[in-house]
Amino acid sequence: DEAGRGAGGMLGGQRGPPGPCALTGSPPQALVDDTEDVSLDFGSEEELALRKARIRHPLATFFHLFFRVSAIVTYLFCDWFSNSFVACFVTILLLLSFDFWSVKNVTGRLLVGLRWWNQIDEDGKSHWMFEAKRVPTIAASTEAEARIFWLGLIICPVIWTLFLFSTLFSLKLKWLALVIAGISLQAANLYGYTHCKLGGQKRISRVTSRLFGTGDVAQRQSRRISEDGTEEHGKTVPR
Amino acid sequence: FPGLADVSISQDIPVEGEITVPVGSHSPDEDYSTLDEPVRDTIMRDLKAVGKKFVHVMYPRKSSALLRDWDLWGPLVLCVSLALMLQGGSADSKDDGGPQFAEVFVIIWFGAVVITLNSKLLGGTISFFQSLCVLGYCVLPLTVAMLVCRLVLLAGAGTISFIIRLIVVVAMFGWSTLASTAFLADSQPPNRKALVVYPIFLFYFVISWMILTFTPQ
Repeated sequence: DEAGRGAGGMLGGQRGPPGPCALTGSPPQALVDDTEDVSLDFGSEEELALRKARIRHPLATFFHLFFRVSAIVTYLFCDWFSNSFVACFVTILLLLSFDFWSVKNVTGRLLVGLRWWNQIDEDGKSHWMFEAKRVPTIAASTEAEARIFWLGLIICPVIWTLFLFSTLFSLKLKWLALVIAGISLQAANLYGYTHCKLGGQKRISRVTSRLFGTGDVAQRQSRRISEDGTEEHGKTVPR
Repeated sequence: FPGLADVSISQDIPVEGEITVPVGSHSPDEDYSTLDEPVRDTIMRDLKAVGKKFVHVMYPRKSSALLRDWDLWGPLVLCVSLALMLQGGSADSKDDGGPQFAEVFVIIWFGAVVITLNSKLLGGTISFFQSLCVLGYCVLPLTVAMLVCRLVLLAGAGTISFIIRLIVVVAMFGWSTLASTAFLADSQPPNRKALVVYPIFLFYFVISWMILTFTPQ
Protein backbone atom coordinates (compact mmCIF):
# COMPACT_ATOMS: atom_id res chain seq x y z
CA ASP A 1 0.00 0.00 0.00
CA GLU A 2 2.95 2.20 0.64
CA ALA A 3 4.01 1.71 -2.93
CA GLY A 4 0.55 2.61 -4.10
CA ARG A 5 0.63 5.78 -2.17
CA GLY A 6 4.03 6.52 -3.48
CA ALA A 7 3.06 5.82 -7.05
CA GLY A 8 0.00 7.92 -6.71
CA GLY A 9 2.36 10.70 -5.99
CA MET A 10 1.04 14.10 -5.67
CA LEU A 11 -2.32 13.05 -6.94
CA GLY A 12 -2.86 11.04 -3.81
CA GLY A 13 -1.82 13.97 -1.78
CA GLN A 14 -4.70 16.01 -3.05
CA ARG A 15 -7.19 13.69 -1.53
CA GLY A 16 -5.64 13.88 1.90
CA PRO A 17 -6.27 16.55 4.40
CA PRO A 18 -5.41 19.91 2.95
CA GLY A 19 -1.92 20.39 4.34
CA PRO A 20 0.13 23.35 3.34
CA CYS A 21 -2.63 24.83 1.22
CA ALA A 22 -4.92 25.20 4.21
CA LEU A 23 -2.24 26.95 6.19
CA THR A 24 -2.00 29.74 3.71
CA GLY A 25 -5.72 30.02 3.78
CA SER A 26 -5.85 30.20 0.03
CA PRO A 27 -8.98 29.14 -1.82
CA PRO A 28 -9.25 25.90 -3.84
CA GLN A 29 -7.40 27.76 -6.55
CA ALA A 30 -4.17 26.70 -4.91
CA LEU A 31 -5.31 23.13 -5.18
CA VAL A 32 -5.93 23.68 -8.86
CA ASP A 33 -2.44 25.08 -9.25
CA ASP A 34 -1.08 22.09 -7.48
CA THR A 35 -2.91 19.68 -9.74
CA GLU A 36 -1.49 21.42 -12.78
CA ASP A 37 1.97 20.58 -11.60
CA VAL A 38 1.14 16.99 -10.98
CA SER A 39 2.70 14.50 -13.32
CA LEU A 40 -0.02 11.98 -13.86
CA ASP A 41 1.33 8.62 -14.65
CA PHE A 42 -0.92 7.11 -17.28
CA GLY A 43 1.30 4.25 -18.11
CA SER A 44 4.72 3.09 -18.91
CA GLU A 45 7.00 4.48 -21.52
CA GLU A 46 6.11 1.66 -23.86
CA GLU A 47 2.47 2.51 -23.82
CA LEU A 48 3.20 6.13 -24.55
CA ALA A 49 5.32 5.13 -27.51
CA LEU A 50 2.59 2.79 -28.64
CA ARG A 51 0.08 5.56 -28.47
CA LYS A 52 2.25 7.82 -30.60
CA ALA A 53 3.26 5.27 -33.21
CA ARG A 54 1.59 5.50 -36.57
CA ILE A 55 1.70 1.77 -37.02
CA ARG A 56 1.06 -0.19 -33.88
CA HIS A 57 1.08 -3.65 -35.40
CA PRO A 58 4.00 -3.66 -37.82
CA LEU A 59 4.08 -7.43 -38.17
CA ALA A 60 0.39 -7.71 -38.90
CA THR A 61 0.55 -4.90 -41.44
CA PHE A 62 3.50 -6.53 -43.14
CA PHE A 63 1.87 -9.92 -43.38
CA HIS A 64 -1.43 -8.45 -44.50
CA LEU A 65 0.26 -7.14 -47.61
CA PHE A 66 3.01 -9.72 -47.99
CA PHE A 67 0.97 -12.76 -49.01
CA ARG A 68 -1.34 -10.85 -51.34
CA VAL A 69 1.41 -8.98 -53.11
CA SER A 70 3.64 -12.06 -53.40
CA ALA A 71 0.78 -14.00 -54.95
CA ILE A 72 0.27 -11.29 -57.54
CA VAL A 73 3.98 -10.89 -58.21
CA THR A 74 4.46 -14.64 -58.55
CA TYR A 75 1.57 -14.84 -60.97
CA LEU A 76 2.96 -12.04 -63.12
CA PHE A 77 6.53 -13.25 -63.16
CA CYS A 78 6.09 -17.00 -62.88
CA ASP A 79 7.97 -17.55 -66.10
CA TRP A 80 11.07 -16.03 -64.61
CA PHE A 81 10.94 -18.11 -61.45
CA SER A 82 10.42 -21.54 -62.84
CA ASN A 83 9.49 -23.40 -65.98
CA SER A 84 7.13 -25.68 -64.21
CA PHE A 85 3.46 -24.77 -64.29
CA VAL A 86 2.80 -27.03 -61.34
CA ALA A 87 5.30 -25.33 -59.05
CA CYS A 88 3.88 -21.90 -59.84
CA PHE A 89 0.33 -23.10 -59.43
CA VAL A 90 0.99 -24.68 -56.06
CA THR A 91 3.03 -21.73 -54.83
CA ILE A 92 0.41 -19.17 -55.76
CA LEU A 93 -2.37 -21.31 -54.36
CA LEU A 94 -0.56 -21.72 -51.05
CA LEU A 95 0.15 -17.98 -50.90
CA LEU A 96 -3.49 -17.21 -51.56
CA SER A 97 -4.60 -19.66 -48.88
CA PHE A 98 -2.21 -18.25 -46.29
CA ASP A 99 -3.33 -14.77 -47.21
CA PHE A 100 -6.98 -15.71 -46.80
CA TRP A 101 -6.36 -17.28 -43.42
CA SER A 102 -4.17 -14.51 -42.07
CA VAL A 103 -6.42 -11.69 -43.21
CA LYS A 104 -9.51 -13.42 -41.89
CA ASN A 105 -8.12 -14.52 -38.56
CA VAL A 106 -5.33 -12.16 -37.64
CA THR A 107 -4.90 -8.92 -39.49
CA GLY A 108 -8.56 -7.96 -39.57
CA ARG A 109 -8.80 -8.46 -35.86
CA LEU A 110 -5.65 -6.50 -35.12
CA LEU A 111 -5.71 -3.76 -37.72
CA VAL A 112 -9.35 -2.74 -37.81
CA GLY A 113 -10.99 -4.66 -34.99
CA LEU A 114 -13.42 -6.51 -37.23
CA ARG A 115 -14.06 -10.21 -37.42
CA TRP A 116 -16.34 -12.55 -39.28
CA TRP A 117 -16.83 -16.28 -39.04
CA ASN A 118 -19.23 -19.13 -39.54
CA GLN A 119 -20.85 -21.01 -36.75
CA ILE A 120 -22.88 -24.19 -36.83
CA ASP A 121 -25.30 -24.72 -33.97
CA GLU A 122 -26.70 -27.96 -32.65
CA ASP A 123 -29.48 -28.10 -35.21
CA GLY A 124 -26.96 -28.04 -38.00
CA LYS A 125 -27.95 -24.57 -39.11
CA SER A 126 -25.11 -22.40 -40.17
CA HIS A 127 -24.88 -18.80 -39.05
CA TRP A 128 -22.52 -16.21 -40.39
CA MET A 129 -21.37 -13.89 -37.65
CA PHE A 130 -19.97 -10.41 -38.13
CA GLU A 131 -18.40 -8.57 -35.27
CA ALA A 132 -17.06 -5.05 -34.95
CA LYS A 133 -15.10 -3.61 -32.08
CA ARG A 134 -16.29 -0.24 -30.88
CA VAL A 135 -14.28 0.58 -27.81
CA PRO A 136 -10.83 1.82 -28.74
CA THR A 137 -8.14 0.32 -26.61
CA ILE A 138 -4.59 1.34 -26.04
CA ALA A 139 -3.35 -0.97 -28.75
CA ALA A 140 -6.16 -0.17 -31.14
CA SER A 141 -5.43 0.47 -34.73
CA THR A 142 -4.42 3.78 -36.17
CA GLU A 143 -5.60 5.62 -39.23
CA ALA A 144 -2.59 4.54 -41.22
CA GLU A 145 -3.12 0.87 -40.45
CA ALA A 146 -6.80 1.02 -41.28
CA ARG A 147 -6.04 2.73 -44.55
CA ILE A 148 -3.42 0.11 -45.46
CA PHE A 149 -5.84 -2.65 -44.53
CA TRP A 150 -8.70 -1.41 -46.66
CA LEU A 151 -6.52 -0.49 -49.63
CA GLY A 152 -4.93 -3.92 -49.61
CA LEU A 153 -8.32 -5.55 -49.23
CA ILE A 154 -9.90 -3.70 -52.14
CA ILE A 155 -7.12 -3.38 -54.67
CA CYS A 156 -6.05 -7.02 -54.81
CA PRO A 157 -9.38 -8.55 -55.85
CA VAL A 158 -9.59 -5.90 -58.54
CA ILE A 159 -6.18 -6.95 -59.82
CA TRP A 160 -7.21 -10.60 -59.81
CA THR A 161 -10.33 -9.70 -61.78
CA LEU A 162 -8.09 -8.05 -64.36
CA PHE A 163 -6.07 -11.26 -64.47
CA LEU A 164 -9.28 -13.17 -65.07
CA PHE A 165 -10.08 -11.12 -68.14
CA SER A 166 -6.55 -11.34 -69.46
CA THR A 167 -6.62 -15.11 -69.02
CA LEU A 168 -9.92 -15.41 -70.83
CA PHE A 169 -8.91 -13.19 -73.72
CA SER A 170 -5.46 -14.62 -74.18
CA LEU A 171 -6.92 -18.14 -73.87
CA LYS A 172 -4.37 -19.31 -71.35
CA LEU A 173 -7.05 -21.40 -69.80
CA LYS A 174 -4.84 -23.56 -67.63
CA TRP A 175 -4.47 -20.57 -65.31
CA LEU A 176 -8.21 -20.05 -65.14
CA ALA A 177 -8.74 -22.32 -62.15
CA LEU A 178 -6.09 -20.48 -60.19
CA VAL A 179 -7.40 -17.04 -61.04
CA ILE A 180 -10.92 -18.02 -60.10
CA ALA A 181 -9.65 -19.44 -56.81
CA GLY A 182 -7.77 -16.20 -56.18
CA ILE A 183 -10.78 -14.04 -56.89
CA SER A 184 -13.10 -16.08 -54.69
CA LEU A 185 -10.71 -16.12 -51.73
CA GLN A 186 -9.99 -12.43 -51.84
CA ALA A 187 -13.56 -11.42 -52.60
CA ALA A 188 -14.74 -13.51 -49.65
CA ASN A 189 -12.57 -11.52 -47.27
CA LEU A 190 -13.59 -8.25 -48.87
CA TYR A 191 -17.26 -9.10 -48.56
CA GLY A 192 -16.91 -10.34 -44.98
CA TYR A 193 -15.14 -7.24 -43.75
CA THR A 194 -17.37 -4.86 -45.65
CA HIS A 195 -20.33 -6.52 -44.03
CA CYS A 196 -18.72 -6.12 -40.61
CA LYS A 197 -18.03 -2.49 -41.27
CA LEU A 198 -21.39 -1.61 -42.69
CA GLY A 199 -23.19 -3.68 -40.11
CA GLY A 200 -22.68 -0.85 -37.68
CA GLN A 201 -25.23 1.18 -39.53
CA LYS A 202 -28.68 -0.14 -38.74
CA ARG A 203 -30.26 0.99 -41.97
CA ILE A 204 -27.84 -0.84 -44.18
CA SER A 205 -27.96 -3.96 -42.05
CA ARG A 206 -31.71 -4.00 -42.34
CA VAL A 207 -31.40 -3.69 -46.10
CA THR A 208 -28.98 -6.58 -46.36
CA SER A 209 -31.07 -8.72 -44.07
CA ARG A 210 -34.05 -8.11 -46.30
CA LEU A 211 -31.95 -9.04 -49.31
CA PHE A 212 -30.99 -12.31 -47.71
CA GLY A 213 -34.47 -12.82 -46.37
CA THR A 214 -33.45 -13.78 -42.88
CA GLY A 215 -35.63 -11.55 -40.80
CA ASP A 216 -34.61 -8.57 -38.77
CA VAL A 217 -31.12 -8.12 -37.58
CA ALA A 218 -30.56 -7.95 -33.86
CA GLN A 219 -27.90 -5.44 -33.02
CA ARG A 220 -26.89 -6.13 -29.48
CA GLN A 221 -25.13 -4.17 -26.84
CA SER A 222 -22.25 -6.56 -27.00
CA ARG A 223 -21.41 -5.31 -30.48
CA ARG A 224 -22.22 -8.57 -32.16
CA ILE A 225 -24.08 -8.42 -35.44
CA SER A 226 -25.43 -11.57 -37.00
CA GLU A 227 -27.31 -12.28 -40.18
CA ASP A 228 -30.39 -13.82 -38.66
CA GLY A 229 -32.38 -12.84 -35.66
CA THR A 230 -31.44 -15.79 -33.48
CA GLU A 231 -30.22 -15.34 -29.98
CA GLU A 232 -26.53 -15.74 -29.42
CA HIS A 233 -25.33 -17.30 -26.24
CA GLY A 234 -21.77 -16.34 -26.10
CA LYS A 235 -20.47 -19.01 -28.37
CA THR A 236 -17.48 -17.52 -29.98
CA VAL A 237 -15.70 -19.89 -32.27
CA PRO A 238 -13.42 -17.79 -34.37
CA ARG A 239 -11.89 -19.57 -37.26
CA PHE B 1 -32.46 -23.95 16.00
CA PRO B 2 -30.03 -26.60 17.08
CA GLY B 3 -30.50 -28.59 13.89
CA LEU B 4 -29.13 -25.83 11.77
CA ALA B 5 -26.01 -25.40 13.84
CA ASP B 6 -23.93 -27.76 11.77
CA VAL B 7 -25.40 -27.12 8.37
CA SER B 8 -22.59 -26.40 6.05
CA ILE B 9 -22.87 -25.52 2.43
CA SER B 10 -20.00 -26.79 0.37
CA GLN B 11 -18.16 -24.14 -1.45
CA ASP B 12 -17.87 -25.99 -4.68
CA ILE B 13 -21.43 -26.09 -5.89
CA PRO B 14 -21.28 -26.99 -9.58
CA VAL B 15 -22.62 -24.40 -11.91
CA GLU B 16 -25.29 -25.77 -14.19
CA GLY B 17 -25.35 -25.19 -17.86
CA GLU B 18 -22.85 -25.02 -20.63
CA ILE B 19 -20.61 -22.20 -21.46
CA THR B 20 -18.46 -23.46 -24.23
CA VAL B 21 -15.79 -20.98 -24.99
CA PRO B 22 -13.02 -22.81 -26.77
CA VAL B 23 -9.48 -22.25 -25.67
CA GLY B 24 -7.93 -19.41 -27.50
CA SER B 25 -11.13 -17.62 -28.25
CA HIS B 26 -10.09 -14.01 -28.51
CA SER B 27 -12.67 -11.32 -28.62
CA PRO B 28 -11.44 -8.03 -30.01
CA ASP B 29 -11.81 -6.52 -26.55
CA GLU B 30 -8.73 -8.18 -25.21
CA ASP B 31 -5.46 -6.36 -25.41
CA TYR B 32 -2.49 -8.26 -26.66
CA SER B 33 0.91 -7.22 -25.57
CA THR B 34 2.67 -9.31 -28.17
CA LEU B 35 1.58 -10.32 -31.61
CA ASP B 36 3.09 -13.79 -31.44
CA GLU B 37 1.20 -15.28 -28.58
CA PRO B 38 -2.35 -15.07 -29.88
CA VAL B 39 -1.41 -15.85 -33.46
CA ARG B 40 0.38 -18.96 -32.33
CA ASP B 41 -2.71 -19.95 -30.38
CA THR B 42 -4.84 -19.43 -33.44
CA ILE B 43 -2.50 -21.46 -35.62
CA MET B 44 -2.24 -24.30 -33.13
CA ARG B 45 -5.96 -24.47 -32.66
CA ASP B 46 -6.57 -24.67 -36.39
CA LEU B 47 -3.85 -27.26 -36.88
CA LYS B 48 -5.28 -29.39 -34.12
CA ALA B 49 -8.73 -29.16 -35.66
CA VAL B 50 -7.36 -30.31 -39.02
CA GLY B 51 -5.48 -33.21 -37.40
CA LYS B 52 -8.53 -34.31 -35.49
CA LYS B 53 -10.54 -34.43 -38.69
CA PHE B 54 -7.96 -36.60 -40.41
CA VAL B 55 -8.22 -39.05 -37.55
CA HIS B 56 -12.00 -38.99 -37.81
CA VAL B 57 -11.80 -39.93 -41.47
CA MET B 58 -9.48 -42.84 -40.82
CA TYR B 59 -11.81 -44.18 -38.14
CA PRO B 60 -15.24 -43.09 -39.31
CA ARG B 61 -17.62 -42.96 -36.40
CA LYS B 62 -20.73 -40.95 -36.24
CA SER B 63 -19.36 -37.83 -34.65
CA SER B 64 -20.31 -34.25 -35.05
CA ALA B 65 -16.79 -32.85 -34.89
CA LEU B 66 -16.26 -33.17 -38.60
CA LEU B 67 -19.55 -31.51 -39.31
CA ARG B 68 -19.61 -28.73 -36.74
CA ASP B 69 -16.13 -27.33 -37.12
CA TRP B 70 -15.67 -27.32 -40.82
CA ASP B 71 -12.54 -26.10 -42.49
CA LEU B 72 -11.13 -26.49 -45.96
CA TRP B 73 -7.42 -26.77 -45.18
CA GLY B 74 -7.46 -30.55 -45.20
CA PRO B 75 -9.19 -30.79 -48.57
CA LEU B 76 -6.77 -28.26 -50.01
CA VAL B 77 -3.71 -30.18 -48.84
CA LEU B 78 -5.14 -33.51 -50.00
CA CYS B 79 -6.18 -32.11 -53.34
CA VAL B 80 -2.78 -30.56 -53.99
CA SER B 81 -0.87 -33.69 -52.98
CA LEU B 82 -3.13 -35.95 -55.02
CA ALA B 83 -2.79 -33.69 -58.03
CA LEU B 84 0.98 -33.57 -57.61
CA MET B 85 1.22 -37.33 -57.42
CA LEU B 86 -0.99 -37.74 -60.44
CA GLN B 87 1.28 -35.42 -62.33
CA GLY B 88 4.09 -37.77 -63.13
CA GLY B 89 6.40 -35.69 -65.18
CA SER B 90 6.84 -32.12 -66.29
CA ALA B 91 3.48 -30.51 -66.63
CA ASP B 92 3.80 -29.05 -70.06
CA SER B 93 4.83 -32.14 -71.93
CA LYS B 94 2.09 -33.36 -74.19
CA ASP B 95 2.78 -37.07 -73.85
CA ASP B 96 2.76 -37.56 -70.13
CA GLY B 97 0.82 -40.51 -68.78
CA GLY B 98 -1.04 -38.64 -66.10
CA PRO B 99 -3.79 -36.08 -66.39
CA GLN B 100 -2.92 -32.44 -66.25
CA PHE B 101 -2.54 -30.91 -62.82
CA ALA B 102 -5.35 -28.44 -63.14
CA GLU B 103 -7.73 -31.14 -64.38
CA VAL B 104 -7.46 -33.10 -61.16
CA PHE B 105 -7.98 -29.93 -59.21
CA VAL B 106 -11.05 -28.95 -61.15
CA ILE B 107 -12.53 -32.44 -61.04
CA ILE B 108 -12.21 -32.66 -57.28
CA TRP B 109 -13.52 -29.22 -56.43
CA PHE B 110 -16.17 -29.00 -59.10
CA GLY B 111 -17.31 -32.54 -58.34
CA ALA B 112 -17.60 -31.75 -54.65
CA VAL B 113 -19.61 -28.60 -55.41
CA VAL B 114 -21.99 -30.52 -57.66
CA ILE B 115 -22.54 -33.21 -55.04
CA THR B 116 -23.23 -30.56 -52.44
CA LEU B 117 -25.73 -28.82 -54.70
CA ASN B 118 -27.38 -32.14 -55.38
CA SER B 119 -27.76 -32.93 -51.72
CA LYS B 120 -29.09 -29.47 -50.99
CA LEU B 121 -31.62 -29.71 -53.80
CA LEU B 122 -32.77 -33.00 -52.34
CA GLY B 123 -33.55 -31.18 -49.15
CA GLY B 124 -30.52 -31.96 -47.07
CA THR B 125 -29.92 -30.08 -43.85
CA ILE B 126 -26.19 -29.91 -44.11
CA SER B 127 -24.64 -26.61 -45.07
CA PHE B 128 -22.63 -25.96 -48.21
CA PHE B 129 -19.19 -25.72 -46.67
CA GLN B 130 -19.77 -28.59 -44.27
CA SER B 131 -20.47 -30.86 -47.19
CA LEU B 132 -17.39 -29.65 -49.07
CA CYS B 133 -15.36 -30.23 -45.93
CA VAL B 134 -16.54 -33.83 -45.51
CA LEU B 135 -16.10 -34.72 -49.16
CA GLY B 136 -12.64 -33.19 -49.22
CA TYR B 137 -11.43 -34.91 -46.08
CA CYS B 138 -12.72 -38.27 -47.27
CA VAL B 139 -10.32 -38.09 -50.20
CA LEU B 140 -7.64 -39.07 -47.68
CA PRO B 141 -7.88 -42.86 -48.21
CA LEU B 142 -7.59 -42.35 -51.96
CA THR B 143 -4.52 -40.18 -51.49
CA VAL B 144 -3.00 -42.99 -49.46
CA ALA B 145 -3.93 -45.37 -52.27
CA MET B 146 -2.19 -43.10 -54.76
CA LEU B 147 0.94 -43.10 -52.64
CA VAL B 148 0.91 -46.89 -52.44
CA CYS B 149 0.33 -47.16 -56.18
CA ARG B 150 3.29 -44.96 -56.96
CA LEU B 151 5.51 -46.99 -54.68
CA VAL B 152 4.30 -50.21 -56.28
CA LEU B 153 4.91 -48.76 -59.73
CA LEU B 154 8.48 -47.98 -58.76
CA ALA B 155 8.98 -51.69 -58.37
CA GLY B 156 7.54 -52.58 -61.74
CA ALA B 157 4.53 -52.28 -64.01
CA GLY B 158 3.52 -55.87 -64.64
CA THR B 159 0.37 -57.85 -63.98
CA ILE B 160 1.13 -58.50 -60.33
CA SER B 161 1.63 -54.83 -59.64
CA PHE B 162 -1.66 -54.12 -61.40
CA ILE B 163 -3.48 -56.64 -59.23
CA ILE B 164 -1.98 -55.15 -56.09
CA ARG B 165 -2.90 -51.66 -57.18
CA LEU B 166 -6.42 -52.79 -58.06
CA ILE B 167 -6.97 -54.31 -54.65
CA VAL B 168 -5.58 -51.28 -52.85
CA VAL B 169 -7.56 -48.79 -54.89
CA VAL B 170 -10.83 -50.71 -54.55
CA ALA B 171 -10.34 -51.01 -50.79
CA MET B 172 -9.59 -47.31 -50.37
CA PHE B 173 -12.46 -46.36 -52.67
CA GLY B 174 -14.82 -48.35 -50.48
CA TRP B 175 -13.38 -46.71 -47.38
CA SER B 176 -13.80 -43.21 -48.79
CA THR B 177 -17.35 -43.81 -49.89
CA LEU B 178 -18.33 -45.38 -46.59
CA ALA B 179 -16.71 -42.64 -44.56
CA SER B 180 -18.36 -39.82 -46.45
CA THR B 181 -21.70 -41.59 -46.55
CA ALA B 182 -21.57 -42.05 -42.80
CA PHE B 183 -21.35 -38.30 -42.38
CA LEU B 184 -23.53 -37.07 -45.20
CA ALA B 185 -26.38 -39.51 -45.55
CA ASP B 186 -27.71 -38.81 -42.09
CA SER B 187 -28.71 -35.34 -43.04
CA GLN B 188 -31.20 -36.71 -45.56
CA PRO B 189 -34.68 -38.18 -45.13
CA PRO B 190 -34.54 -41.99 -45.25
CA ASN B 191 -36.12 -42.54 -48.65
CA ARG B 192 -33.59 -40.27 -50.29
CA LYS B 193 -30.39 -41.74 -49.01
CA ALA B 194 -29.64 -43.63 -52.21
CA LEU B 195 -30.15 -40.48 -54.25
CA VAL B 196 -27.49 -38.77 -52.20
CA VAL B 197 -25.08 -41.67 -52.04
CA TYR B 198 -24.81 -42.41 -55.74
CA PRO B 199 -23.15 -39.10 -56.76
CA ILE B 200 -20.63 -39.60 -53.95
CA PHE B 201 -20.03 -43.08 -55.29
CA LEU B 202 -19.51 -41.67 -58.76
CA PHE B 203 -17.20 -38.93 -57.52
CA TYR B 204 -14.85 -41.28 -55.73
CA PHE B 205 -15.11 -43.73 -58.58
CA VAL B 206 -13.77 -41.15 -61.03
CA ILE B 207 -10.90 -40.32 -58.71
CA SER B 208 -10.13 -44.01 -58.19
CA TRP B 209 -10.19 -44.53 -61.94
CA MET B 210 -7.66 -41.73 -62.41
CA ILE B 211 -5.46 -43.33 -59.77
CA LEU B 212 -5.72 -46.83 -61.14
CA THR B 213 -5.02 -45.88 -64.74
CA PHE B 214 -2.07 -43.70 -63.89
CA THR B 215 1.12 -44.75 -65.62
CA PRO B 216 4.24 -42.73 -65.03
CA GLN B 217 6.67 -41.72 -67.75
